[in-house]
Amino acid sequence: MSQSIVASGGHKPPDASFPHRVMAHSRRDFLSRTGGGLGMLALLDLLQRDADGNESTATNPAAARAPILPARAKSVIWCFLDGGPSHIDLFDPKPALTKLDGKPLPPSFKRPVTAMGRTAHTPLLASKRRFQQHGQSGLWVSDWYPHLAGCVDDIAMLHGCWADGLNHVGSVCQMNTGSILGGRPCLGSWALYGLGSLSENLPGYVVLLDYPEDPPGGARNWSTGFMPSTFQGTRFRDGGTPILHLKPSDATAGGQRAKLDFVQELNRRHLAERREDHDLEARIASYELAYRMQSAATEAVDLARETRETQSLYGLDEKTTERVGRNCLLARRLVERGVRYVQLYCGSGSKWDAHRNVEGNHARYCRESDKPIAGLLRDLKRRGLLDSTLVVWGGEFGRTPMSESGDGRDHNPYGFTAWLAGGGVRGGVRHGATDELGLYAIDGRVHVHDLHATILYCLGLDHRKLILPFNGRDERATINGGHVIREVLKKAPTISS
Amino acid sequence: MGRAFSILIAIGLLPLLADTTVSAAEIPALFRTPRRPALPIVKNRTWVRTPIDTFILARLEAEGLTPSSPADKERLLRRVTFDLTGLPPTLAEQEAFLADTSPDAYRKVVERLLASPRYGERWAQHWLDLVRYAESDGFKADDLRPAAHRYRDYVVRALNADVPYDRFLRQQIAGDELEPDNPDALVATGFLRLWPDEYNAANLEQRRQEILDDVTDVTGQVFLGLTLGCARCHDHKFDPIAQTDYFRLQAFFAPMRTRDDLPAANEKERNEYQRRLDDWQKASAAIRAEMDKLLADKRRAHRQSALGKFRAEIQQAVLTPDEKRTPYQRHIALIAEKQLQTPDANLAKTLPADKKKAYERLEKQLAALPMPRPEPLPSAMAATDAGLDTPPTFLLAGGDWRKPREELQPGFPMVLDTSKPDIRTNKERKTTGRRSALARWMTRNDNPLTARVAVNRLWQHHFGTGIVASSGDFGAMGEAPTHPELLDWLAVEFVSHGWSIKHMHRLMVLSAAYRQDSRVDAASPAGVAARRVDADNRLLWHARRRRLEGEALRDAMLALSGELSPRMFGPSARPKLPANISKYAWKPDAAPQDRHRRSIYVLAKRNMRYPLFDAFDLPDMHNCCSRRLNTTTSPQALLLLNGDFALERGQRLAEVLSERCGDNDARLVAEAYRLAWGRRATKEEIELGTRFLKQRSEELRTSKHGDRGSQDRAAVVADFCHALLNTNEFLFVD
Repeated sequence: MSQSIVASGGHKPPDASFPHRVMAHSRRDFLSRTGGGLGMLALLDLLQRDADGNESTATNPAAARAPILPARAKSVIWCFLDGGPSHIDLFDPKPALTKLDGKPLPPSFKRPVTAMGRTAHTPLLASKRRFQQHGQSGLWVSDWYPHLAGCVDDIAMLHGCWADGLNHVGSVCQMNTGSILGGRPCLGSWALYGLGSLSENLPGYVVLLDYPEDPPGGARNWSTGFMPSTFQGTRFRDGGTPILHLKPSDATAGGQRAKLDFVQELNRRHLAERREDHDLEARIASYELAYRMQSAATEAVDLARETRETQSLYGLDEKTTERVGRNCLLARRLVERGVRYVQLYCGSGSKWDAHRNVEGNHARYCRESDKPIAGLLRDLKRRGLLDSTLVVWGGEFGRTPMSESGDGRDHNPYGFTAWLAGGGVRGGVRHGATDELGLYAIDGRVHVHDLHATILYCLGLDHRKLILPFNGRDERATINGGHVIREVLKKAPTISS
Repeated sequence: MGRAFSILIAIGLLPLLADTTVSAAEIPALFRTPRRPALPIVKNRTWVRTPIDTFILARLEAEGLTPSSPADKERLLRRVTFDLTGLPPTLAEQEAFLADTSPDAYRKVVERLLASPRYGERWAQHWLDLVRYAESDGFKADDLRPAAHRYRDYVVRALNADVPYDRFLRQQIAGDELEPDNPDALVATGFLRLWPDEYNAANLEQRRQEILDDVTDVTGQVFLGLTLGCARCHDHKFDPIAQTDYFRLQAFFAPMRTRDDLPAANEKERNEYQRRLDDWQKASAAIRAEMDKLLADKRRAHRQSALGKFRAEIQQAVLTPDEKRTPYQRHIALIAEKQLQTPDANLAKTLPADKKKAYERLEKQLAALPMPRPEPLPSAMAATDAGLDTPPTFLLAGGDWRKPREELQPGFPMVLDTSKPDIRTNKERKTTGRRSALARWMTRNDNPLTARVAVNRLWQHHFGTGIVASSGDFGAMGEAPTHPELLDWLAVEFVSHGWSIKHMHRLMVLSAAYRQDSRVDAASPAGVAARRVDADNRLLWHARRRRLEGEALRDAMLALSGELSPRMFGPSARPKLPANISKYAWKPDAAPQDRHRRSIYVLAKRNMRYPLFDAFDLPDMHNCCSRRLNTTTSPQALLLLNGDFALERGQRLAEVLSERCGDNDARLVAEAYRLAWGRRATKEEIELGTRFLKQRSEELRTSKHGDRGSQDRAAVVADFCHALLNTNEFLFVD
């Protein structure tokens, strides 16, 4: 029960391994806590938090706490290109593909299983993009991403990514949870579980969509699976009330405080006879946080407070870029306010899924996302936030060099590109490679688990030690895999916790 | 109890255990057949009401602890009513119980609750959590499963009828084989169908393996309390379960296939339907033949195109004539088949205009036949065997389907039983009998785990924590039982009472242990002492307070406002959802009596979790959930404070109370408390309520709107009722 933590854990400073192991001194400890006592985790939101860490985290498993490794980043912003962007048209030029345009996949290549099956046998499709090297580092970027091309010296390209899924829902699920099968916590939840939230009045993990459509699988992509829902992502909704039920309906708005005061008075009287029950206290506190959140979240999403210059940096003044721009700007504001993990979907609802007409499709979604994401990097940098914010760019997979329906491309989980920037990552670095056609990752291979391990590492978490016992197994974010890609990280941590 | 095994593993003895007979001394206590222990001797014999109490009290006395005083009648009634039916006691039920001063007043209440159909609706949810019940596929499409609700209804009915647990188990594992003429048993095999599914999976061989893994894992966990998943990839690190055990167990399910076309009807109904169908088919044969001809090309083309998506091996499995297929090919072809078929209506849409017109004309002729096509019988989402020959089961290295090692035959975990399964093939019904053999073994009276695991789950729901707290893990990584003799006693009692679940409920809720107060005076010397010895209350020196689950919370609000629809069974209810919540959202039912059915009937959609349940720790519907988490978060507060559902229930409750109590504030307040909290409020509490009403009325009168008379009154009473629905005393059960 929750009581045991307070009674036994008391107010001594947390064990050094606390965030990683939820301080379970024994199996019994842990179970008693997960069982009746998640009321304790409960306190997540609730107990007063002391920015200097004076509040004993022993009583509040989800309060902000120091990471165990030297942290590179405090927050993560993941720009998720939903549907699978074509690496060979964006960052990974393939001259050999141009030469073999229209020809079948040479027999020297192992024929892959593809989502659409027949695309293992369809002709190769050359990229129509013009690639150039940019910045001092000379990283390649195609003419679809002119603004981001100006940021390459802050970017570490991971060209050898690979994943296990073939279809969207499994693959998006894996990019978020490590497994193509549902039911596991997503990476943002693991980050919160390990580090807690830095924000008192906002959810620690926020999800932003740019289109009304959910990514495949919907809310499962930010849910916690077998982890307590305390750590789940909160999807911010469009408009002035980003959180579901944030505001009372007009009819009851006037009396809300009076009503709340009455509820709390009854609750305190109820508690007086049940002093030992921390779940009851936690619930009382949760109402106060909810009340504060009403104004804090409203303030956080109010982009009108930004200067015109900043708004235009993100492309808010153009119709094409406004959609993603708003979310990028909002992501920066959230990170500033202590939100730990922001995931913003660009083209939510599998918009990048160019089974036909990759040219038309990608031209549109690149235009929509280029300036805003570049604006985000620039804005974070000039505000000194890029060092403590890890920005991730990537989708659930890349696309095949083989054509589909003549001018489209199929899913390619065998080799694709993702990139990292800020948060202790070395800029202007290339890591890994695909083969001459961009089909298979052949060098510096980065599995989804490796990517996850690296993101957690940047946050100061060791993916091998961040454990949640569930149904008889010690579960990890990276399941049984994962290696940190040290090659792309700066040597010394750039921020102190 | 797990210690010994960790040592065995450490010194490398585990492989020996798996491959040879296990000597009795090495078997963990929970893996040995329970024997009925003698009742312990206790000092305070007057406290004892059922045999359970002797075990609880003996342990408390040994630790120098004393049980708490009994809960008062109002709290006890609220507790047992929520426990057994998931609903609050009505005013009439409260009055009746308070008025009944006979010594068996409480027993009568328990009997009334156990006989209520609401009982099955409550306890079915506990079972559905375990079997990760949902009515949709999950994955991207999250297609609905139109027959899934019949499995839910089966569970509700079985519990209400107190179907013996051994039969309940056998029906779910092998109802098709064991009770072939019982439609309920066929529906029960829906248990084997509840895995999430991807309708367009391309890698069918991997898919088949994932399904087999899922069924093996869930069966092990639900019925045996074993976490077998670990042994899929390697010998279990902590339990004496070898990787070979895992795949031997899996082999029982290897012949299994899915069926969605079998009617959930008895023989008479089936014959009657068949007769009418034959007549209709005869009458419509000519028309249908013409329609088929029109569609034939399209059908072939669609099939061809769908087949082209698969790897050559899979295509070959499909194209090989059935009699020449290997059993494995047959299974793969069966899985593929679902993706190869296109409904006629969809094909017809793609016809060229002239053919389309012809097709539509035929459709009209078909509809105009004097004899309409008979309404199909309700179908079961069922599992059966695909035939008498079964694909071989291999030990898979690392659990990877591409890495088969030695072939294995069906068998039980060696640590539990080394005997050869008694598998009886039924040639006539073309069924291998493998699952029946497993089901019979699991329900043998001497199976060490089945009864223990089941009674422990019942205990958990009544007392807040199981005797084995890790109710889904009886292995070494689980917790040791706090009262091992009690667990054995209950398990033996369960089996010897014909596996009657209701009998166990009676024993538990009639016990003195259950009837204790949950409030402890932590500051008193006794409280301080007790907390020093047993702060977690594992020894049950007081009752545990529990928060309502999301389902019970919704039902309770609807019950209070008088809106709860009593309609049972059938297709699921679709309550209102917040606007634009998700593309997976459902269209709400138009009629309140449809929307306001009990929570057990709310559509369980994997990608569209009903927000109230979601916020209050609904399990994720992908994994087996033995025990729900219990979190407290601010989104819960927002949902109850600002969400429409709670607001509307508050308004309706206000109307009901205003009608009954008129302007009598004190009476209205008192009744509201009584409904929400299940007890008569104190004078002070009533004064607090009336003061709130007065102050809010005053505020409204002096607000910018000016006095709006009855409208203001309604708003103020609604505010008061809504506030009560937000109180801890409403959400928690003492």
